Amino acid sequence: MVQKQSISRKLFVVFNTVLLAVITILGIIPFIHLLSISLSSNSAAMAGEVKLWPVGFSWDAYVYLGEKVEFFRSLWVSVQRVVLGTIINLFLVFITAFPLSKSNDQFKYRTPYVWFFAITMFFGGGLIPTYIMVKNTGLIDSMWALILPGALNVWNMVLMLNFFRSIPRELDEAATIDGAGHWRILWKIYLPVSLPSIATIGLFTIVGHWNAWFDGILYLNSPDKYPLQTYLSTLIMSMNAQMSSISLEQLKAMENLSEKTLKTAQIFMGALPIMVVYPFLQKYFVKGMTVGSVKE
Amino acid sequence: MRTLKKEYLLHLMLLPGVIVTLIYAYGPMAGLIMAFQQFEPLSGFFKSKFVGLDNFRYVFNLPDFNQVLWNTLIISILKMILFLLVPLILALLLNEVTKKWFSSFIQSAIFLPFFLSWTVLGGVIIELFSLSGPVNGMITALGLEPIMFMLDNQWFRGIIIGTDVWKGMGYNMIVMLAAIVGINSTLYEAAEVDGAGRWKQMIHITLPGMAPILILLGVLSLGGILNAGFEQILIMYNPTVYEGADIIDTFVYRLGMFSQQFGPAAAVGLFKSVISLVLVSVTYYAAYKYNNYRIF
Amino acid sequence: MKKIRPWKMILLVSLTLSLFTACSSKEQDNSTSSATKEDSKSNTTPPDPLGKYPELVTVTEVLGYNPPEDPRTPKGIKPEENAYFKDLKEMMNIEIKYKWTVPSSQFEQKFALAMASNDLPDIMELDQKNFEKLKKQDMLADLTEAYEQYASPALKKYMQSDDGFAMKTFESDGKQLGIPAFEDPFLSAQLLWVRQDWLENLNLQAPKTMDELNKVAEAFVKNDPDQNGKNDTYGIAMQKNLFFWGFDLRGFFNGFGAYPSIGDNQSAWIKNSEGKLVPGLIQPEVKTALSMLQTWYQNGIIDKEFALKDENKSVEDLTAGKVGMSYGEWWYPNWPLNLNVDKDPKAKWIAIQIPGLEGSGHSLVPKIRSNKIFAVNKKAKNPEAAIKLMNFYIEMGNKKYMDQNKAEKGYVYNWFNPRIYNPAQIETIYTEVNKALDAKQTEITLDDENYKNVADVFKAAKDYLAGDTKSASKGVNWGQYYSRAAKDGGWGMTRKLKESKAYVTNEFYGLPTASQVEKGTQLDKLMQESFTKIIMGAPISEFDKFVTSWKSLGGDQITQEVNDWYSKNATK
Repeated sequence: MVQKQSISRKLFVVFNTVLLAVITILGIIPFIHLLSISLSSNSAAMAGEVKLWPVGFSWDAYVYLGEKVEFFRSLWVSVQRVVLGTIINLFLVFITAFPLSKSNDQFKYRTPYVWFFAITMFFGGGLIPTYIMVKNTGLIDSMWALILPGALNVWNMVLMLNFFRSIPRELDEAATIDGAGHWRILWKIYLPVSLPSIATIGLFTIVGHWNAWFDGILYLNSPDKYPLQTYLSTLIMSMNAQMSSISLEQLKAMENLSEKTLKTAQIFMGALPIMVVYPFLQKYFVKGMTVGSVKE
Repeated sequence: MRTLKKEYLLHLMLLPGVIVTLIYAYGPMAGLIMAFQQFEPLSGFFKSKFVGLDNFRYVFNLPDFNQVLWNTLIISILKMILFLLVPLILALLLNEVTKKWFSSFIQSAIFLPFFLSWTVLGGVIIELFSLSGPVNGMITALGLEPIMFMLDNQWFRGIIIGTDVWKGMGYNMIVMLAAIVGINSTLYEAAEVDGAGRWKQMIHITLPGMAPILILLGVLSLGGILNAGFEQILIMYNPTVYEGADIIDTFVYRLGMFSQQFGPAAAVGLFKSVISLVLVSVTYYAAYKYNNYRIF
Repeated sequence: MKKIRPWKMILLVSLTLSLFTACSSKEQDNSTSSATKEDSKSNTTPPDPLGKYPELVTVTEVLGYNPPEDPRTPKGIKPEENAYFKDLKEMMNIEIKYKWTVPSSQFEQKFALAMASNDLPDIMELDQKNFEKLKKQDMLADLTEAYEQYASPALKKYMQSDDGFAMKTFESDGKQLGIPAFEDPFLSAQLLWVRQDWLENLNLQAPKTMDELNKVAEAFVKNDPDQNGKNDTYGIAMQKNLFFWGFDLRGFFNGFGAYPSIGDNQSAWIKNSEGKLVPGLIQPEVKTALSMLQTWYQNGIIDKEFALKDENKSVEDLTAGKVGMSYGEWWYPNWPLNLNVDKDPKAKWIAIQIPGLEGSGHSLVPKIRSNKIFAVNKKAKNPEAAIKLMNFYIEMGNKKYMDQNKAEKGYVYNWFNPRIYNPAQIETIYTEVNKALDAKQTEITLDDENYKNVADVFKAAKDYLAGDTKSASKGVNWGQYYSRAAKDGGWGMTRKLKESKAYVTNEFYGLPTASQVEKGTQLDKLMQESFTKIIMGAPISEFDKFVTSWKSLGGDQITQEVNDWYSKNATK
């Protein structure tokens, strides 16, 4: 079997490998660039001389970073947010997608429910009304303000319900005959077979929580509660473009912005933890689990 | 009796999701009223003056509105197509990679740029395509005239589209990979017994197996037809390419920045929502009618 | 000057007696009012501006903050741990509670939310727009009486430094609704910063006229001024915003007698011979300047890709030593030229008056330079506390607090609000430091609330002149010295400009008019597109098309509105 296709197959494999390798390099380059800047001398970094290799090699930025209380404080907040947020999000996605993945004859009200959720993908009230709602429900200045308003991600839920549909219907029919209720079917049958899709959606949820920064600014009242990306966004701040003059004080702030290597080191370190998550989750993306694992 | 009990449990499962959505998605929608008001934050929604359709009239009558709408459509439609095509090709190619570590390494690398914000990437990309950048370096090495990519309306659009696809393609690719994983592996085994080659397997098993997800991604991306990538363009554009790259969102942003006009911004938001909803509904029912498939 | 409408006065007078005293004292000239005040309140002793409340008074604030500036500040300190608070409580028995704190780049956003959810603090830092909004909704407390009674002599002196012009801008119907933090408008005057060492390398003189500038700029591009054997320099720093707060071309245009903008992309307003205001943006001088830029673009004197660069990129180029000249304000040595000096020991920058067509040009300066106003919520229980806080902050600049008031002890001055500076601070620094340097003193003799600011610059100046780099790098010391104290430096040259009256005033300082709000974005886009294209080679006749469009797209209307404002409100 292998010998038969060998020549065209080999050619394809070579071509495929080269192409993917090029794409891989394109993905990694910006990180190498950031890493190089963070390992360069500040003056070389400020002058924009650093490309893909450090200029005037220096560990200083990372030494300073080690003393940055703010960085580690917000890193810890982010970890808490990701763990708590992901668990809640996944749970809600899971129990919401299940009823909606039923066909209309299994669940009569499916369609109105689905549209009830889907509409929110297109219509939103905007910043101020959402803020007022979060405030009125008493979440301002707490971690819950970052978790509850987006606790049910409709887009992920729709993905999940489509994954659920690919589960053969015979499975839950068989279980129903055995006398299992919805709840048991959900946890005993759906959960184990949908691990790959949970891993996928879990990844998106983790990344979503990790990357979110603006809600931190809006809903939290003091910077020591900021998650990491919110804190980082304050470093990359640009001056208000509307300003027509720079005051004595803003000038001092500009001088401080000159610590480019430290800034870059923090951006780099901020992306690092999440890079590790992907390979970890990947082991759940296993082929053929869908059917094989159910028959005990 | 039995069905009633069954359905009651399904309603119960939906309850948490419904509550969260009602409070944090439907609650703030009251704010859509701003689109019809001369909204003043201090007066709030109840005391701001109603101006009927004035906000819509104001925005649609701005001299550049047509051009801006056109730019938005071109950029977003091209992005939409590529966001389906490129990840699909990548997912299929990755599916052919037999070495597991290589495959997972590539997946991680492709997903990486997703973690960097445009604020960080924008400058790097401008540099890349500048006269003294590496791209022009290669062009001049080939003996050709250097090109001012970022100052040319056609090139600039291409770069906007290309880099956005590069940054975001990992996301859809992972969804598609998950869909491939979900395909029943016995189908491949059967095909192999029948002597079908890799190419045939892809055409007859993999692609049809992915169809639901592809349709889902396609339809939902239509919902974003008026979003051409605000943050990216805001960071990368310049006055010479306003003609080809000024989009609705950047336009509204400049309106708001200068004069904090909440009403017109809300009107544009509402306009975008309605268009998305209409497009998605039409394709939803088309998919149902011709393919008997409900995307959600 | 604003007139007080009589019927409103009557209404107010009939309301309460206490209001009556406040208003009537306001009717009289400001300078004599304090005397009247004491008369009318003869049986009570005037309150001590730094006095202590018998019981703890809590006021709420919100804070948009930047990181502490001094590297010696304790790590991880939070705004509510600011050491100023401890002293404040001891001295005045006032406690500040933050409703929220946010990095300053996000302050505007967050404040808009606070307004929308009606959750405003007692003491507020406002920009002009928000001040007007709150004023319209009648949400600001009248500070007239609090200011008269509680303002310390130093604070009053500051507010009088421009004869009360800034104060008057934030007064309405005889009520003082805000205390402005303002600076000397001449801080906005334009200079030309030039690499002296490049001039020397090429045997050139600092340019005085446009023709000379042209020659120098060309030489800076073509004759390898940095002598590194590479063709890697260009003449003048430029970025995509032609009119900005720095690294822009306001000074260049001014050299042609063109006054397009004060830095915000909106037109500046110049008084013509008939006493009317005309938009500087569409005057024929602008066309001349643009055609010169077009030639420069062709000759490579300005970066071919200037339209891609923002201010950060300009800073990179300056730091890297790729640029020989940049138009800008007095502060360049402070940042970013100091970075270039630290990077390249040979680099030497000088400031010169902007070259004009014949001799040096006239720079555009604003009428008023203020971007924040402190105001008090009408619901606040102790409006006078705001004034006392200002007194407190000014007081803390005195020499006697210097042992205590140090960054390493947790004093973070830029987190303390409301802080009002001496509007003449830079002038005080200049005179005092020079006095001490000329007399070869080892320490400054000044002993008032300006001590800290003057002492800091004096130390930097001394260190720089002695080549001492123990406490800061050469660039940082030089930056402090050359921007504020040197006679031929940033402020030194600005003073000369002021004395020789080499300036033109932007006469409009009101809020954006209705048409400016509605059409401003359009006109801004039109200007940026047209000007950039002309510079990059479009026919110069495009400018006439631009003028026509500008007028018909709302410019004429704006001109009308600005002139209406001028005849009504402006202090001429």
